[in-house]
Amino acid sequence: MSDVFFLAEFAGGAAAHSAQELASGAAELARQTGGSAVGLAYGEGAANGAAGLGSWGAARALVLGDGNAPAITHAARLVSAVRDGGAALLAPATPNGRDLAAAAVGLLGVPAFGPARAVRSEDGRLKVEASTLQGSWVTVSEPSEGAPSPAVVLLLAGTFTPQEGSGEAAVETVQADDGPLAEARIVESHVEGKAAVNLEEAQVIVAGGRGMGSERGFAQLQELADALGGAVGASRAAADAGWVPYQLQIGQTGKVVKPALYLAAGISGAIQHRVGMQTAQNVVAINKDPDAPIGEFADLFVVGDLFAIVPKLTDEIRRRKGA
Amino acid sequence: MKIVVCVKQVPATTAEKRYTPDKRLDRTSAESVINPLDEYAIEQALRLQEAGTVESVAYLSMGPEQAAEALRRALAMGGDEAYLVTDVALAGADAWATARVLAAALDKLAPDVALMGMASDDAKGSLVPGAVAAIRGLPLLSYGSELRLEDSVARIRRLNATGYDIIEAPLPVVASVTDQVGEPRYASLKGIMAAKRKHLETWSLGDLGIDADDLHGATLTRVMEVRPPEAKAPTERIENVPADEAATRIADWLAARKLL
Repeated sequence: MSDVFFLAEFAGGAAAHSAQELASGAAELARQTGGSAVGLAYGEGAANGAAGLGSWGAARALVLGDGNAPAITHAARLVSAVRDGGAALLAPATPNGRDLAAAAVGLLGVPAFGPARAVRSEDGRLKVEASTLQGSWVTVSEPSEGAPSPAVVLLLAGTFTPQEGSGEAAVETVQADDGPLAEARIVESHVEGKAAVNLEEAQVIVAGGRGMGSERGFAQLQELADALGGAVGASRAAADAGWVPYQLQIGQTGKVVKPALYLAAGISGAIQHRVGMQTAQNVVAINKDPDAPIGEFADLFVVGDLFAIVPKLTDEIRRRKGA
Repeated sequence: MKIVVCVKQVPATTAEKRYTPDKRLDRTSAESVINPLDEYAIEQALRLQEAGTVESVAYLSMGPEQAAEALRRALAMGGDEAYLVTDVALAGADAWATARVLAAALDKLAPDVALMGMASDDAKGSLVPGAVAAIRGLPLLSYGSELRLEDSVARIRRLNATGYDIIEAPLPVVASVTDQVGEPRYASLKGIMAAKRKHLETWSLGDLGIDADDLHGATLTRVMEVRPPEAKAPTERIENVPADEAATRIADWLAARKLL
C-alpha cells in the first residue's frame, strides 16, 4: 500500500486552508509513491465537503465525523482508516492535527516526524526534512527498517501551496467503535470577538510586540496591515498585556506562520517568538533597540521609532498602490 | 483526587546545542532544565492542590539518571513525590516509545489526571499527551488554558477561532495545559530544602513490565543527514535616518521584492 493519507479539517462548513495544502502535498507525494491521495475529513461540513477535496488533488476521501466536536474524538475512525498501512499520514502541525496524529502514533506504534518543512519519497523510502534547534540545523530523517506504516508526518502551514483544479474525491464513510477518546465533548462555547483572520493562511503579517505599548498602537498596525492587504499578529507579550486576543499570538505557544512577508514592529525576537515565524520568506523588523535579537535574523532591520515610521510607511504604501 | 504531572528534562532554551557524530542531539553538553512548558502544568496542579481539589501531586519523568535533578526541582516548587523511569534501552526514545513507557508508569500510579505541558522545548511534536491517552484508553483534554476538576469530571478551557470552548470528560483523563494557566512559581529556599526529603523512586523498564525488545530500539525513525541551513543573505540595516526616509526605503525594499 503506497497511498498517502492526509488529515482534512473542516470548519464553518468549508475545508480549512491546511486541508487544501495537505491535499495538494499528498497528491504530489502519492505521485512519487505510486498511490493515491486519500483525505480523512472531519469537522463542521466534512460530510458535504469531502468530495470537494478532489479539486485539490485527493482521489478519495473518508469522512471521520461531522459537527463541532474535539478533533480527538475522531481518533478511532482515523485509526481504522489507516491501520492497513500506506506510505504516510500527513497531519497539520496544529493542536487538532497533532492530537489526531498522536492517537495514530499511540494506537498503531508508527513512526512520527516533524514538524517538517518538506517530505518526499526516494526509492520507496520516505524522507522528511525538518528544521531543528531554532533553525540552526536541517535534518533529513526516514522510518527505520521494518517500522510499521503509515509514518505520521506533521507539517507546518505553508509547506505546500494548494493546487486548485477540478475533480471530485470518491467519498466513503468509516465505521469504528468510538472508544474512550470520543468521551471528551464541548459543553460550552463562548464568543469573545469576531473571527480573527486565519494567520496560518495570511501571505502578509504585520505583527506587534511589547514595543507597541497599547491597544491603540495596534490600531496603527491594523492600518498598515490593511494597506498591505495583510493580517495583524502579535507576540506573547502583547497578548498577555491584553492589547490583542490570544488568537493572534504567534510563537511557540501560539500560531506558527509562514507568510511571504512578516513585518515585526516592537518585537525583540526571543526564541519563543522566532520559532513561530522563522520560515517566513521575508522578515522586516522595526525596533528602537539596535541590539534587539530580531536584528540578527531579519532580512531588513530598521532601527527607529516605530510610532513615527509605521504611519509614514502606511501612507507611502497607500500612495504607491494608488489608493 | 490525585494528579501526576509528567516532566521532561531538556537542554536550557538558550544553551548551545549540537549533534553527536551518530546524529543524535547531544544532551550532555548543555545545561539542563525542566521543560519550561511543563512548569505551567506543575503550576496548574499545585494551584488545584492549594484549592483543596486535589490531595496529592506526584511527578513522573522518563530520562537519564540526571533527570532526577529536574524532579527535585519540581518537588521544590511543591507536590509530594516523584518517579523516574530510567533505562539504557530508552536512549533516543521517540514519541511512541516515550508514550508507551509513560503510559505504563501512569497505569501503575493510576492518577485521576495525568497532566502534561503542551509541548517540549526540544522535540516540538506535542504528540506525547495524545499518544499516552490513546495507549491508556482514556479521554484527552488538550491545550487547556485552565483545568478544573469537579466530582467525577474534568473540564478545560480551550481557545477556539473566536473565543473559547469548555471541554469536559469523565475522570480519569490525560490532559495538557498551555502557558496561559498562570506564571509558574519559583522554588523557595524552604521548598528546596523540603524537596530533599521527599520520596523519589527510580523504575527500570522491567519494573513497568516492559520488554526492551518491544520498543524497537526505542525509536522508529532515524536521522540520515544533519546539515546547516541554506546560507541566508546578511541583514540589511536602516538606521540613523528620519522617519520619512526610513518609510520610503522600506517601501522601496518591499517593491523590489514584489511584496507591494
